[in-house]
Amino acid sequence: MTHEQGRLGGEYHGTQGPLFWLAVRTAMLTALTLGVYRFWAKTRIRRYVWSSVGADGDAFEYTGTGLEKFLGFLAAIVILAVYLGAVQMILFYFGLTLFGAAETQAELFLQFGAFGITSLAILPLVFFAQYRARRYRLARTRWRGLRFGAEAAAWGYVWRAMIYWAIALLSLGLLWPLMTFRLAQYKADRSWYGNARFRQNGRWTGLYAAMKQLFVALGLMVLAAIFAAIQLYVLAGLWATLGAIWFSVGLLSYRVNAFVYLTENLVLEVPGADDVTFGTSPQTWNVLWQMVGGSMAVFAATGLVFGLLGAGPLLLIGLEAVPLHVLIVPSVLLYMLALAISGALWLIWVAQPILRHVVTRCTAQGTGALNGVAQRAGDSGADAEGFADALDIGGAF
Amino acid sequence: MLPVPARYYDGITATRQNVRAMLSEDGGALLILGGAQPAPLEWPLARLRAVGGAARKGHLVLALHDPANRADARPLAPARLTVTDPALIAALRARCHLARRDRRPGMRGRLVRRGALAAAAVGIMLFVILPRMADTLATLIPVEREITFGRSVVAQIERALGATDLGDLDCTAPAGTAALEVMTRRLSAGADLRYRLEVRVLDHAMVNAFAAPGGQIVIMRGLLDDATGPDAVAGVLAHEIAHVEARDATRHALRAAGSAGLLSMVIGDVTGGAAAVFLGERVMRASYTREAETGADRFALRMLNNAGVSSRGMAAFFDGLAEAEQEGGPGRLPTYLSSHPDSAARADVAEANAADQRATSPVISDAEWQALLAICD
Repeated sequence: MTHEQGRLGGEYHGTQGPLFWLAVRTAMLTALTLGVYRFWAKTRIRRYVWSSVGADGDAFEYTGTGLEKFLGFLAAIVILAVYLGAVQMILFYFGLTLFGAAETQAELFLQFGAFGITSLAILPLVFFAQYRARRYRLARTRWRGLRFGAEAAAWGYVWRAMIYWAIALLSLGLLWPLMTFRLAQYKADRSWYGNARFRQNGRWTGLYAAMKQLFVALGLMVLAAIFAAIQLYVLAGLWATLGAIWFSVGLLSYRVNAFVYLTENLVLEVPGADDVTFGTSPQTWNVLWQMVGGSMAVFAATGLVFGLLGAGPLLLIGLEAVPLHVLIVPSVLLYMLALAISGALWLIWVAQPILRHVVTRCTAQGTGALNGVAQRAGDSGADAEGFADALDIGGAF
Repeated sequence: MLPVPARYYDGITATRQNVRAMLSEDGGALLILGGAQPAPLEWPLARLRAVGGAARKGHLVLALHDPANRADARPLAPARLTVTDPALIAALRARCHLARRDRRPGMRGRLVRRGALAAAAVGIMLFVILPRMADTLATLIPVEREITFGRSVVAQIERALGATDLGDLDCTAPAGTAALEVMTRRLSAGADLRYRLEVRVLDHAMVNAFAAPGGQIVIMRGLLDDATGPDAVAGVLAHEIAHVEARDATRHALRAAGSAGLLSMVIGDVTGGAAAVFLGERVMRASYTREAETGADRFALRMLNNAGVSSRGMAAFFDGLAEAEQEGGPGRLPTYLSSHPDSAARADVAEANAADQRATSPVISDAEWQALLAICD
């Protein structure tokens, strides 16, 4: 129970214009530098987004730098170059030796097995990179002058993630909540705000309620199978289509509702004071609309941008006004610009609205206790997300 | 200037201190009054920095530059001051270099060292280890698997050339096929080949020929049309047979699988990144196929010598290529050339070889050559 006074609601102050131009500028710089600038680009966009999020008038702050990300990436490259190059070639080799001519079930099984084994070699690195990237982001986040942080526990996360993923897959998704909960708990229990530690309460079975829509989708599929069995193929097809759509909505609903459950059972343990508790109420429909409607708008606008930017060079080619080779450089630049605009539109029409929705629907209770939180020591940031950058994993921001 | 309200966090606890801020009399510092401090804090304007992305209009978050701070990525002292008074913000922006980037000493050295190490690791992988591994693995692949792989490669190329169904583009006029068979036999007679050769002609105007893994050789109709005579086609065929024997296609596929992954990792999934990876791959392939091409030419000349076929036809073919290269006409030969050595030089080598050859005879009879030319009809 919380006895402390105080309740804070999440604020989001970001707007479309500045983020759009920032994204276009940094994407162009990234393209022109053959990708080197991407670390600075990501950092600048994070600075903007972090400073958009706040509570009680205090904005978050992202203190990472592009340079440290680049250095971390270079370090990760050395390790991954050796590992990935070899693994990929071996994977391809197995693909070749087991190529095509699988005539029996057993051979087919072996073929998939070989691919599976080689991708398993990459999987630990992916989980490792995910945990380290999260730790880096927390270490570079501040609010009210205090650092966030996470413990150096990436390998513990790796083997847990492997086991829980295996369990979730082998149970055909029935134990998915077990994986979601335990991995979230592992991460939350090792996260800090200043000298206050987060704790994930609740039970993994509590996530089954979030799976409701997935079970509905399953029911629709079963219905489709029954219709198929009694040879009513049109009806079966209809129900199966509905089931498939319902399933993808259900996946989103699970993510949103699992987030709600986890957040409502999250506490911040302030030393010598009462816990700060959290609440959130994002709506699946709202997120779905931002995703579908936003993506459609981005898609349409991207087509328009490519058409407009492509019209110039095409016209010049058509008129044979200038030799082809003169047009190569401007055309490539225009193509990059169109891609950059498309990416920036996605940021402002899909990613940012969803973030705004979620942030503004988060609350914290008993926040009077926050006055007692003290600073924590700085974290070097390990590889500064280098592995995640090299393996190209990570979210929108 | 009068003091205005501001928020101060000392970076030690999360307690908010409602303070007042103002510029000092001499204009050299920002004074922070009130809060928990016994005496006013004096922040020199020269050390003042803005933090964060400043998404919120009308808010300015300030911190002090602190070169001694090595715990954070940016050398800033932990305390933060949020100013919202427009006049003070304007004054600070006018007087301070708020966006200044403070570099730590020694960063350039670290960057250079790490960069060199990463470049060396990638370079050694791309140019030394992956090629060696590819060579080894290529010899380990069972021949029958290679053949299956080769079939799928050819199928992909057929589709790319516009075949809706596989075999649509196959040229199968019986007399022409027989002539091709005679040519292939004569060239490979005596050579102890590992692969059973499957030579096909595809109905496409491109002047090209290639060897897929596992003994599949494809000649485009355009090459037959363009050739000066049967000996020229024999030269090209011998060259492709050499590729088959050296397992070049398989080795290159293996190498590409490894290096494409590496390159995409280095360049990243950025705007146009895929194009950059593709280009990088092309450049690398061009660099390491030159060697393979020269080797195949040498092998091809030996084959022609053994079969008693003049390499003058081959020389004529390369001369034609060299001319086309100089014209640079659209649609002619770019794919065949990109990764090959200088055509004029190859023509000279073939010509020199021809001068030393003993008695030669056309690789197939004139009637057979006419049949081969009509293989697609």
